[in-house]
Formats: sequence, C-alpha cells, structure tokens
Amino acid sequence: MRFEQYYEPKTTEECIRLLEEYGADCKILAGGTDLVPRLKNKIWRPQAVIGIGSLPDIDTIKVDQNGLELGACAKLRKISMDPSLAKDYKVIMEAAGNVSSMQIRNVATIGGNACNASPSADAIHGLIAMGAKAVIAGPEGVREVAVEDLFAGPGKTVLTRGELLLKFKVEAPKAGTGAVYKKFAIRGDTDISIVGVGCGITLKDDGTIEAVRISLSAVAPKPIRAAEAEKLLLGKKLTDELLDLAAETAENNCTPITDQRATAAYRKEMVRVWTRHAVKEAYERAKSV
Amino acid sequence: MKRMEINITVNGRKHELYVSPDRTLLEVLREELNLTGTKKGCDDSNCGVCTVLFDGMAVKSCTMLIPQANGHSITTIEGLERENSLHPLQQSFIDHFAVQCGFCTPGMILTAKAILDENPDATEEDIREGLHGNVCRCVGYKKVVESIEAVRDGEYSESCGEV
Ligand SMILES: Cc1cc2nc3c(=O)[nH]c(=O)nc-3n(C[C@H](O)[C@H](O)[C@H](O)COP(=O)(O)OP(=O)(O)OC[C@H]3O[C@@H](n4cnc5c(N)ncnc54)[C@H](O)[C@@H]3O)c2cc1C
Ligand code: FES
Ligand code: FES
Repeated sequence: MRFEQYYEPKTTEECIRLLEEYGADCKILAGGTDLVPRLKNKIWRPQAVIGIGSLPDIDTIKVDQNGLELGACAKLRKISMDPSLAKDYKVIMEAAGNVSSMQIRNVATIGGNACNASPSADAIHGLIAMGAKAVIAGPEGVREVAVEDLFAGPGKTVLTRGELLLKFKVEAPKAGTGAVYKKFAIRGDTDISIVGVGCGITLKDDGTIEAVRISLSAVAPKPIRAAEAEKLLLGKKLTDELLDLAAETAENNCTPITDQRATAAYRKEMVRVWTRHAVKEAYERAKSV
Repeated sequence: MKRMEINITVNGRKHELYVSPDRTLLEVLREELNLTGTKKGCDDSNCGVCTVLFDGMAVKSCTMLIPQANGHSITTIEGLERENSLHPLQQSFIDHFAVQCGFCTPGMILTAKAILDENPDATEEDIREGLHGNVCRCVGYKKVVESIEAVRDGEYSESCGEV
C-alpha cells in the first residue's frame, strides 16, 4: 500500500477543494473498512487519501420531531445501539446492525456503506425503506437525492468530481408506518448477503396500504426497488394471496448473478421467500403503531 | 512519502510518532512499538487476530490506517497484565484450556474484554454474537465462551482483581 499525500480537512470547503484538485487521483477515507483492503490489494492506487472524520458534525446523529439526520461518518455500531432511534427508526438500527461483526461496525460508517455502492450493502436498506435522502456537497453547492438514486452500478455512485456525501435526512414517519430489513446469509451477519429485502409500509386507518417501499439487496448491479410489487400492493389490504403475488412479482423483477454464495436461480427463489417475510413483518409493525 | 506526526496512547503510555500515513495501526504497533502480541492473520479484516481496543471498543487494526488512530487510546494484549498477575480473562483462558496454538487468543481476549466492559451480564448468546468476528482454527469456541462466562460470573475477581 502506498499513497503520496494524506489530508484531513477541517472544513467542507477545504475538502471539496481537495476533491476537485485531485479528482480521480484521490479517495475519501471514512471508516476505511472497504477502502483500506482495496488500497492494500492495489485495486486502487490513489495519489492522495482524504480523511473526512474531522469535518464538522460529520458523525452526528440527531433526532427531533421533524425527523432524523445521520452524518455520513456516523458509525454503524453507534446507529445500531442508539436508543433515540428505537421508536421511529428501528429499521435503520437493524440494517446497520446487520453489517458484519462488532469490530467492523465500530469503525464502518453509514456514508461509507452507501458510497462503496456494493450491490450487497446492507445498512443502506434501512434508509431506503424509510425514504431517506442523501445530502451531497460539492463545488456547485448542496444537492439532495433519494438514497436509492445514489447508485450508478457496482462500486459507482452518482457523485461527480469534487462531491462528497455529507449526511442523510429521514422525515419522521407518519402514524401507521412500519419497516423492516431482512438479511439472508449462510453464516449470519459476518457473511455477505445472498439476498436482502427491506420494506416500509404506511397504512391508512382502514388498513389499506397508503405507501409501500420494497428494496432488494444482492440481486442486481445495484440496490433496487421492487417497483412492480409495490404497485401491486398500493391501495389494497394485505391478504395471503396478495402477499404471494407481490413476492412472485419481486422475484420476476430482479436480475441476480451466480457467484460463490449462490446461483442466480436460488437467489430469485430467495427473493420470493424473503420479500414475503419482509412485507408481512413490515405490515405487522405498521398495524401495531 | 512524507511522514506525519501521530499522537497515540498505547496501554496508558503516550507516544509521539513520525510515521508514514499509509501504514496500518497493526504495522505501527508491531514494527514501531514492538508490541507483537497483536497478530497478523488474514490482513484483510476477516479473522480478528489483530483485534485491539480503540477507546475501549474492539476494532481490527490490520485495516485501520494509522492517521485514524491519531489522538486515540489503544489497548493491546500487553496492556492487560497487572504487576503480579494476569488479567482475569487471561487466567481464565489458561485455566479453561481455551488456548491451543494461541494465535487467536490475544484478539479473543480483547474482544471478550470489550463485550464484558459494555455488558457485565452478557449472556452466552451475547458473548457468541460479540465474538462473531474472531476466528479460531484449533480450540473451537466452547472453551472460549466458558472462559468468558467464568470471568463474568466473578470467579477470578479474588485472584486477579476486577475485570
Ligand atoms: C470483513 C468485512 C465484512 C463486511 N461485511 C459487510 C456486510 O455484511 N454488509 C455490508 O453492507 N457491508 C459489509 N462490509 C463492507 C463495509 O464494512 C461497509 O460497506 C462499510 O459501511 C463501509 O464504511 P466505511 O466507513 O468503512 O467506508 P470506507 O472504506 O471509508 O469507504 C468506502 C467507499 O466510499 C467512499 N466514501 C466513504 N465515505 C464517503 C463520503 N462521505 N462521501 C463520498 N465518498 C465516500 C470511499 O472513498 C470508498 O470508496 C464488510 C467489510 C469487511 C471488511
Ligand atoms: S489480520 Fe486483521 S482481521 Fe485478520
Ligand atoms: S488457539 Fe489456535 S487459532 Fe485459536
């Protein structure tokens, strides 16, 4: 591992200036759990590494009546154990807690989980299930994108030269909202997901589904929404038949690959199984609040 | 590349080091400070033998760049021993035969300390969950868990002091 320069900017402006100056010749360092192995294996050979841990408020976790703000460098373990998230943002805690071991979660950040743009990233599905927005700062100012629109392909985000992810914003959920993330892996959380399914549901007073989000991990080149399945559920009451149909639709909507963890066919089948579990549980949670 | 000043406290001692920022915490502990109790196994954050405590939290030192440790406090296995006795967890691992080749042991013990420091009443399940990131290729985990439970249950507080 070798790089020529290490910077630790104290202001966002300075960070943006450095990112602009170096462009593709630099890499941002948050927790480093994805970055450092890649530097060591010489998959990436940047000239400069820019540590963002000293930027103001970059690891803040803030909850008020309007919603939640999560700094890009908030550690996954901190998120997974923060009691202030337990009432309204449980799915964000759970998805962060599904990443690997305690040692990794103590270091890994939520922003790194997103910007690494792995198709199998777990923590971001808590954010997608709750309709979170990513706040991006760059030379042109600040912009917001929905978390699911942050990804351009395996390892690629929509961030352009000079930009960094600052934080995530989540609106306080409406009454009757429940959400869940289900990770399916052979060796538990230390293992990379075979499939992961996130689901957030808001119910009207009469029990019909007012809003629904289903997100899938590890079954496409990037995290995806199961849009057809969502459409099917919208405005209806959940029955066993509808649940089966939605799960089948999600299965038909994804394009997984075969790798050392599972075959494409098995992944598809597991999407059906776990979509069923996730939708059902999100629905139960929505009913109980 | 240009070296940078790194201030870290290791096992209670302050160090001012001038090291290249492209080195890992593990390398600096082993090669600059001669603390070779922290092992290098997979070197890509899978096996856990390089676990140290970082401000009291268990982390894998093989994939942490040294600037990330700047201004922080590190505990390695060398920092647990007391003047006339081992740390309760060290003694318990020996008494329960939780050590075979011993390569995973420093990491196991530091992870165990992090688990019990955070939750002195950790159940077997909590302990196993906490040890998720530590791999042992010889003993198996039963004896490791038993050693930690014995310390949790206060069996060593008299001979070795508090955890
Ligand atoms: C043993 C092991 C097991 C793992 N298991 C899992 C798992 O089960 N599930 C899972 O989801 N992940 C897993 N991971 C992956 C990893 O831990 C997570 O993706 C983690 O959240 C990354 O965060 P980080 O802070 O370490 O990112 P870093 O490594 O610091 O950064 C990752 C990438 O994002 C960029 N980046 C980081 N922050 C920003 C920002 N604010 N703005 C712009 N770019 C940024 C970096 O330049 C880099 O390219 C595992 C990793 C290891 C080593
Ligand atoms: S050497 Fe660090 S986890 Fe294996
Ligand atoms: S005792 Fe040999 S690896 Fe655990």
